[in-house]
Amino acid sequence: MTMGFLAISLRKDWARMRRDPLSLATAAGIPLVLAVLITLVFGREPATPRGRLLLADEDDTVVSNLIAGAFSREPLGKMLVVEKVGREEGRARIDRGEASAFLLIPKGLQHAFLLDQPFRMQLFTNPSERILPQIVKETLSIVVDGAFYLQRVAAGQLHAFAAKGTPTDLEIAQVSVSISHLATNLDKYLNPRVIDLETEVAQAKTAEPSFAAILLPSMLFMGLLFIANSLAGDIWKERVAGTLRRLASAPVSMAAFLASRVVFVAVVYGIVAIAGLVAADKLAGMPVPSLPAAVLWMAFVGTVFYLLFLWIAVQPATQRAANVLSNLIIFPLSMLGGCFFPFEWMPAWMARMGRLTPNGWALTEFKAILDGNAGAAHLAASAALLAGVAALAFVLTLRRLRRGFAV
Amino acid sequence: MRMCACSAAGRADFSGPTRATLALTVIEVEQLRKTYGDLTAVNDISFTAHPGEIFGLLGPNGAGKTTTISCISGLLTPTAGHVRILGHDVVREGTAARRVLGVVPQEISLYEDLSAIENLNYWGGAQGMRNPLLRERVANVLEITGLQDRAREPVKQFSGGMRRRLNFACGIVHQPKVLLLDEPTVGVDPQSRVRLLDLVRAQAQSGTSVLYTTHYMEEAETLCDRVAIVDHGRVIAAGTLAELRSMLSERDLLRLSGVFQPDAARAAIEHLDGIEILQADEGLLILALPEASRRLPAIFAALAAAGADVRGTTLTQPSLESLFIKLTGKELRE
Repeated sequence: MTMGFLAISLRKDWARMRRDPLSLATAAGIPLVLAVLITLVFGREPATPRGRLLLADEDDTVVSNLIAGAFSREPLGKMLVVEKVGREEGRARIDRGEASAFLLIPKGLQHAFLLDQPFRMQLFTNPSERILPQIVKETLSIVVDGAFYLQRVAAGQLHAFAAKGTPTDLEIAQVSVSISHLATNLDKYLNPRVIDLETEVAQAKTAEPSFAAILLPSMLFMGLLFIANSLAGDIWKERVAGTLRRLASAPVSMAAFLASRVVFVAVVYGIVAIAGLVAADKLAGMPVPSLPAAVLWMAFVGTVFYLLFLWIAVQPATQRAANVLSNLIIFPLSMLGGCFFPFEWMPAWMARMGRLTPNGWALTEFKAILDGNAGAAHLAASAALLAGVAALAFVLTLRRLRRGFAV
Repeated sequence: MRMCACSAAGRADFSGPTRATLALTVIEVEQLRKTYGDLTAVNDISFTAHPGEIFGLLGPNGAGKTTTISCISGLLTPTAGHVRILGHDVVREGTAARRVLGVVPQEISLYEDLSAIENLNYWGGAQGMRNPLLRERVANVLEITGLQDRAREPVKQFSGGMRRRLNFACGIVHQPKVLLLDEPTVGVDPQSRVRLLDLVRAQAQSGTSVLYTTHYMEEAETLCDRVAIVDHGRVIAAGTLAELRSMLSERDLLRLSGVFQPDAARAAIEHLDGIEILQADEGLLILALPEASRRLPAIFAALAAAGADVRGTTLTQPSLESLFIKLTGKELRE
C-alpha cells in the first residue's frame, strides 16, 4: 500500500464521517446516556430532607445556647437550618408555613434549670410537613430529658451556680470537672463492661474506589464496542453503494483498502479515547493517572474490536442478517463483559465469567492501567496477544472480501 | 425456434483479426466461460477489441453481458478461457491489467455524501494517480462532463443524469487505455443519454478501446463500430453493422399475431416466393421478406384461405433488433 493511497483513503473516510456524524455520535452517546441514568439512580448520596428551624431565644444564656446548638450539630445540622428570629416574626412565619418548626425559649430558662424549677418552652410545628417537625420534637424531648437527669445527678453543683449569679470561666471549668468525675463514677453502673477487648491497630485501609471510578471505565468500553459495531457496519454501506465492487476493479489491493480503514478507525478511537478520558477525569472525577497509556490501550482495543465486528459483519449474505448477528453478539458481550454493569456490581461467579470475554479481559487490563497496577511487561504481553487476534481477524476478513463479499 | 448465424458449435472469433490488427489488440477474450453450478452464464465467448474502437455487447437482460464485463475487469474469475488486456492476463497479472482499465459500472457506484471532486480524487487515487496530475485530470473530467459548477456539492443532491455523468467521470479520470461500460445509460433521460454517448465517442476518438454493453439496439447501432449479439451466454452474431445487416439480406421482418393453424399457415406462405418463415405457431407468425409492405395483401389473402385469423401486424425494417428476432425468435427486450 502506498502512503499516497493511505492519505487519500483517510481523507475520504474523514470527510464521510464529518458529513454523517450522527452514526458515530449515536454509538458514543448510548453509553453516555446510560452513565448519566445510572448515576442519577445509584450514584448520588441518599436524599436528605432539608428544613428550617426558627428559634426565638429570649433567654440568650449558656443553657439556651446549648439547646440551640443541639440542632446545629451533625447529623441534625445536615437536615436543619437554624435561623434566629424574634417572637412575633417566628409566629408569623410558621403560620405562613415558611419553616418546619418554631421554638420559643422565653427568658428565665437558665435560672429555672439551675434551680430545678418548672419552665415552659413553646414548639410550633408546620402541619404540612411530617418528618422534620417530628425530628425537632424528638430532639427537644431528648434535650429536656438530659436536663432532667443532669439535675438529678448534679443538683448541688447547679445550685451553686445559681447562687453565685453569672459564673466565671474558672467556675464553669470546676463544675464541668466535677460533673465529669461524677459521670465516671456512675459509668461502671450504667455501662458495666461485659467483654474485654484487645485493641490492634490495623493497617490503613485502601480507599474505596469512587462511583465514577467503578462505572465510567465500563461505560467507556461500552462506547468502544458500539463504535466498533457502527464502523464495521459501514462495510455494508460500501457494498450497497457499489463502491466496494468498483474498488475491486481498481489496481489498489483490497488489503490496502482494509489497512487504510484500520488506520482510520485507530485514529477515530484515539480521538474518542482522549475526549472520553479527559471528560471522565474533569467532569466526573474518574482518576486517570497515566493518560497516554490509557488512550493507547483504548485505541488499540477499539481497533481490535472493530476488526472482530468487521469479520462478523461480512459473514452473512444480507445487511439485515449482519445487523441481527452483530446485535446478538454485542449485547450479551457487553452485559457479561462488564460494559453494562461493572464487575464490582455483579455476583462473583458472573464477574469471573465476564472477565474471560474479550471485552471483559480488556476492561480488566484497562482498570489496572487506571489503578497504576499494570506493569510494562504485562501490558506488552497483552498487547501482543491483541495484535495476534487483530491480525487473524484482518486476514479472515480480507479473505471474505476477496471471495465474494466485495463483488 | 432458434436460429444462429454463427458456426455450428456456436463458438467463433468474430473479430476476424488480421496480422495487422492482432498487433494492436487491446482486449482479447478467448473462449470465456463462467458457470455457477449448473448455470452457464457465459458460454465460450471470444472477441477482440482494438484502440479507438467501440465494441458493443448487445443482448437482453440476463444474456451474460455483465458477467462478461466482470470477468474482463477481474471481478470474477473465469471458469475457463482467457482474458488479456494489453497482453496482461487478468487472472495472473490482475494488477497490471487493472492499471490500464477503466470501469463504469451499471449501478451508480459513488460515495453519495462526498462531493464530485472528493469522489474523483478518491477514485483517481485508487487508480494510482497523485497530485498534481490528479488535480489536473479531476478539473478536466469535471469540465468535459459538465459538472464543474456543482463540483463541491454532495452527490446526493445530484439528479440522476448528473450522477450517471459522475459515475462515468470516475471511470475515465485516470485516462484508461481500455474502458468498460456496463449499460451506462440505463434510467437516464434522453438529454443526458446523448451527452453520455458523446463522451463515449470522445474517449474512443482519443484512442481508448471501449467495450460497451447495452440492451438498447439504437445505441449499439449509432455508437458501436462492431457489435456482438449475445443471448443465453453465447455470441450468436458479430461483426460490423454492415456485416450484421447483410445477414438479413435487406429483408423486412413481419410479425403477425392472431389465431393460426401452423401447418396450414406454413403451407400457404410457402406458396409465395421469397418469404422465409422464422416462426410459426398457434398465436404468432414471423416472416422475413423483401418489400413486405407491398406484399401484405397477398400474404393476408393466403392466410385467410388457410383459415387464419390475423389480428395484429408489425412490420420491422432491417435492424439489429430484427436480426436478433431472426436469430432468437424473440424481441430484444423480452
